Amino acid sequence: MAFSSVRSSTLLGVQGKAVDVEIHVGMGLPGFTIVGQPDEACRESRDRVRAALLSCGLPWPNRRITVNLATSVHERKGGAGLDVAIAIGLLIVQDILPNEIAERYAFIAELGLDGTLRPVAGVVPLVAAIDDRIVVVANECEREARIAARDEVVCAQTLAHLVKCLTGEAAWIPAPTRTSIIIAPPIVDMKDVRGQSAARQALEIAAAGAHHLLFVGPPGAGKSMLAQRISGILPVLTDEEAVATTIVHSAAQVSLPQTGIITLPPFRAPHHSTSLVAMVGGGTSTMRPGEISLATNGVLFLDELGEFAPTVLDALRQPLEDGVVRLARAKSSITMPARFLLIAATNPCPCGEGMPGVCVCDDSAKKRYLRRFSGPLLDRFDLRVAVSRPHVDELLADTPAESSAAIAKRVLHVREMAMLRSGCLNSSLSADMLDTFAPLTVAAAALLRHHLERGRLSGRGYHRIRRVARTIADLQSANNRNIDNSVDRVDEAHVATALALRVGVHPQLNGDKL
Amino acid sequence: MNEECIFAAALSAVPRLGTRRLSAMLAVQSPSKAMEMLGREAPGTQEIAAMKQKLEDGEMSVSYVGAHDYPALLLDDVARPSVLFYRGDLSVLQQRRVGIVGTRAATAAGRYMASHLAYDLSEQGVAIVSGLARGIDAWAHKGVLLALDRDTKSHDGKISARDSHCGQAIAIVASGLDVTYPKENAELWKFVAEHGLLVSESPPGTMPEAFRFPLRNRILAALCEVLVVIESHAKGGSMITVEEAQRRDITVMAVPGSPRALSSAGTNLLLQQGCAPVVDATDVMVALGLDNRRNHPQVFDSRRTPSVQDQELISHMRGEAVTLDQLLMRTRTDLVQTALALGRLESEGWVVNNAGWWEVLGRGC
Repeated sequence: MAFSSVRSSTLLGVQGKAVDVEIHVGMGLPGFTIVGQPDEACRESRDRVRAALLSCGLPWPNRRITVNLATSVHERKGGAGLDVAIAIGLLIVQDILPNEIAERYAFIAELGLDGTLRPVAGVVPLVAAIDDRIVVVANECEREARIAARDEVVCAQTLAHLVKCLTGEAAWIPAPTRTSIIIAPPIVDMKDVRGQSAARQALEIAAAGAHHLLFVGPPGAGKSMLAQRISGILPVLTDEEAVATTIVHSAAQVSLPQTGIITLPPFRAPHHSTSLVAMVGGGTSTMRPGEISLATNGVLFLDELGEFAPTVLDALRQPLEDGVVRLARAKSSITMPARFLLIAATNPCPCGEGMPGVCVCDDSAKKRYLRRFSGPLLDRFDLRVAVSRPHVDELLADTPAESSAAIAKRVLHVREMAMLRSGCLNSSLSADMLDTFAPLTVAAAALLRHHLERGRLSGRGYHRIRRVARTIADLQSANNRNIDNSVDRVDEAHVATALALRVGVHPQLNGDKL
Repeated sequence: MNEECIFAAALSAVPRLGTRRLSAMLAVQSPSKAMEMLGREAPGTQEIAAMKQKLEDGEMSVSYVGAHDYPALLLDDVARPSVLFYRGDLSVLQQRRVGIVGTRAATAAGRYMASHLAYDLSEQGVAIVSGLARGIDAWAHKGVLLALDRDTKSHDGKISARDSHCGQAIAIVASGLDVTYPKENAELWKFVAEHGLLVSESPPGTMPEAFRFPLRNRILAALCEVLVVIESHAKGGSMITVEEAQRRDITVMAVPGSPRALSSAGTNLLLQQGCAPVVDATDVMVALGLDNRRNHPQVFDSRRTPSVQDQELISHMRGEAVTLDQLLMRTRTDLVQTALALGRLESEGWVVNNAGWWEVLGRGC
């Protein structure tokens, strides 16, 4: 037989694409060529496959070999995951394996020189791309692979073992029995946070309505401490969200938890030296997902917001609005999920104190510092809270504060209420939906009007305040356990709270009423 | 313009001719004689023509030691400026004069104090002397601007700001009069030049170099009868002005602040040393010998008196800026109620949010 076609898949962004590895062996000078836009790792597979075949005592055809990587789209194919597919194809053309195998199985693994099957990055999306065949993966990837296709996954140890399994001479490695699913509880709890009642409540509102949150405060005030505790008060992911999040993490080669599937909302805290590509994704020919995609369905925490490169921060604006990031390159364009809750922390000025009367920064230094956050980015934070160092009495108080579990209950309640009412979380309410689901009382409307007239609120800010006020009203009714008659109107108190939790970051120089 | 004035202006721009030497020369002879005396060092005809052009472009006037219009206030000064460049009217110096100075990095409460004090004093016909710097200086003159504006409006615009009985604005700046610094005060700069008196000892085109500011402060101090420091760090330009004022036996008064606020460290230090405190315009009027309590029984505050609960909240914020967190800690009330009260107080103008910190404006209720 001179021709065979074996199914495998390659990765682009967070999406796997099925690839048919076509192999032709014919007359001519012995040689090996791969066509169909392979990348460097792919081209090197010639040497790996040859060594693996010889190591396992299998023959290498001394004829002219052509490998073609066929997909529906013309894109560069990357990764070493095609190795086993090429090896199996070579065995089929030499009639060592029957041709039916190619119709029943697909292969996703790299080969070692001794013939072992090695794991590859992004097994979840790679396996998900294949729907009509049993997928063979390396033993180490078995757990990940089962997330995408529960039963149609088998594993082998080496190429020799794989050949025996395929011909029925040996048994596949049995799937390990898993008794229980361990969910490690988050180690950090809200009860460790002393004082800071405004900041705590802001965090709760942010979690309940998925509102973006900015902490402004001096060093040592506990901004990072608070932010890290948000994972503990967010609800666990739904099955759908869990799979979507796991796929992104798998594609980016981020280690997955013991259970294989990510069930807790991810918390990503990239350092402020993070580059643009690392933040939004792209870079290699396979378009690795960036931090914003990894934070999908979870939290992106940017500590020291002012130290990030302005281009990196401004790149967040579009994903913040759309919930996806669209990357276009000369040869491909892809869309990756990026629906995350943004929490950021910054000092108010270079000296860090910020408090009028205590701060020693001169005006120009302050202005230069604040110029790093663009207005449009600041406007996207629904909540902007000044955090101050807790008072000594509070720090040393014996009574612990409310625990994460208690807050999480309220947060879950509000989220469920919002989904029931409007089908989305409060932060994604559109302008018309706000009028339907968050009508204002007369007093509340008057208060907002006052702030709009004095130029303290932008149009975008107006809607954001109303969304936050909706969440505050929901939280209040959750607190009163009035599940049946939830507050249906947003009143003045809720709007005032939303306004108090959204302070201006720039020092106010003209607010004095003369 | 007078030929002698242009000569004096040109002389002040000669590089190695110090203020002291020039002022000694001009005290005994006219600028044209002084030019002859200088010989080769004297400015050439070209430079004189350029100076004349600059003065005309900037609508500046010149006065020098020995000229008939040179302010008598400065004539006996220990470090009198040899040549004064000014825009506006020197007769403004005939009014009673109070200097208001302070830090550039002022709190909202400090700016409020500066503008209100200046407003009240100006209404009583007292001129306000300041340096047109950022912060306190600028807000003091904004207070004067408002007082003049209200006064002309109350006369249906029939009188100009110059005829108003209100005190005028006197500004002493460090750069040349054609170099506006800081840029954001350009409007105010123009206002003072047109309605009050804008003075500098630097020839036109002089950049605002750092060493000129302490020098400017001595003229500022010399032109005051009473100097009020609103807010100042322990070391700073205002404290230099205070030293210059004390050297000239001019009364220095200070506005007290929280002992924890760095921005009031300088004023609190002055109070410790025995300066009289200023809480409102009456204190300054008494120091000027213009006790007017019978004329104006009470300074009118247009803000509505807050409710008892809100007054309680204000009492927790008195003294220094607080964050919402600290306020909740002090009042032990819940977030929603506090936010509501803050919203009310802010719309009435009792409190203001300054980059996340809440401050009380004025003396309160």
